[in-house]
Amino acid sequence: MPAESEIIEIIPGIAIPDFMVSEIQSKLAYADERIASVYVRSEQISIHLFAGKSATKEQRIEIEEKVQRVVSSLAKGAIQPKYQILEDHLDRRIPYHDDPHPALFSSGQIYQEAPGIFTLGPLVTLLITFFEDQFIELANSFGAKPYRFPTLIPAKFLERVNYFRAFPHSLTFVTHLREDLDVIDEFSQHAACSQEGLNTPSQSFSRIQTLLSPAVCYHLYYSLADKSIPDGQVTATAVGNCFRFESINLVSLERMWNFTMREIIFVGSKDFVLENRELARQRVAERLAQIGFAYKVESANDPFFIGEFRKQAAFQSAFQLKFEIHASLPYKDSTLAVGSYNYHQDFFGRNLNISLLDGKSAHTGCVAFGLERMALAFLAQFGPNPSDWPAEVSSKLKT
Amino acid sequence: MPEISPITIELVQSLLAEALQVPPDLITPDLAFGDLPQWDSLGHMEIMLRLEDQFGVSINTDEIAQLISVPQICQYLEFNGHAG
Repeated sequence: MPAESEIIEIIPGIAIPDFMVSEIQSKLAYADERIASVYVRSEQISIHLFAGKSATKEQRIEIEEKVQRVVSSLAKGAIQPKYQILEDHLDRRIPYHDDPHPALFSSGQIYQEAPGIFTLGPLVTLLITFFEDQFIELANSFGAKPYRFPTLIPAKFLERVNYFRAFPHSLTFVTHLREDLDVIDEFSQHAACSQEGLNTPSQSFSRIQTLLSPAVCYHLYYSLADKSIPDGQVTATAVGNCFRFESINLVSLERMWNFTMREIIFVGSKDFVLENRELARQRVAERLAQIGFAYKVESANDPFFIGEFRKQAAFQSAFQLKFEIHASLPYKDSTLAVGSYNYHQDFFGRNLNISLLDGKSAHTGCVAFGLERMALAFLAQFGPNPSDWPAEVSSKLKT
Repeated sequence: MPEISPITIELVQSLLAEALQVPPDLITPDLAFGDLPQWDSLGHMEIMLRLEDQFGVSINTDEIAQLISVPQICQYLEFNGHAG
């Protein structure tokens, strides 16, 4: 934090329950572009503004009003989630305790192009390939059929599954220059990039019809829309680039704007989806035990935006729809979500008109792994030197 | 299981019709979560929040998962002293 940055201290209009502190902290990043960092406590919120973006008295009032709006939306009448732990292996012996980032940066194994955008070198890539092989073997154990999905996703599809209402803050939009010779000529001759971004006027760009995909499994559901599933069930697997804008929360390999997910996706009856989700959890547990990975599996909710959070998060918690794999990060005495076990009930089946043989809406679920985060958590637990890694991993690296 | 008062059923039918924004005659006495397209996850939470607002009860996550039919909501209200 630059020394000259301005701080606004705010007393929340209503007390913030402990279970909402981290949620409010992450959502306040989206309250105003001038916010550089946020520190939330139950009775006080500290807002640091970017250096060089000092605010007038009126602007400070405006920022405080936005902060209070976020707090009120999330904290007022918040329903405490049911905290469930399905597995706890955080006590596994971890040989490494330093932050691996400095060593990875200095050796050129990771390079940050921009906040949340990273290039990965051979070591991290080898590790990701190892985990990919593990997840593909897992997918094969379910007879999952391989798919390849695009990085782009149509806006009309995300609208159909309520994504704009649920996660507007994290969307990444795609555009291009309008098909207009004058516009293209003007751009080619005068386009320049400053710290603020391209100098191109917004009217030079096309209307947005496409976004960068925020998840992998959505593409499978889209391909099944308005159809009856011939065999009554589908098991699929795919890996893909995913994009979730996280503003000032885009920090290190822990939180990337552009990341990679491997998913195993189940579509069918409720029992089919739930049984396979549980079976997947058990099989993942066996694999992670073999490498001595320290983690726990606990209940979680998706990062809904403020308008939807109260209802959606409580619903997910009540019906045990989401569990996350939280890997130990010894260097910060904390954990990081590296994967999740998800059950969507018949949400996609209904909204996309995907039906089963009996005419009922299909249920869906997926098991998802963030590959860069898996690699980071492993490096945080075992260090950046492959000679220190468990034989189960080092013997299977495809050098 | 004690019989549910017809007045409680009427109260709940009225609340559900408003929460789900459907005509009251669609809220049958044995209606359950998922029986109407409107009684989806968001519709269900709208019902839960209206129960809290109108009856002054505090609903937890276990109850959100249990109160998934008109009879269960009626029994919950009567058990909590809101018999019709």
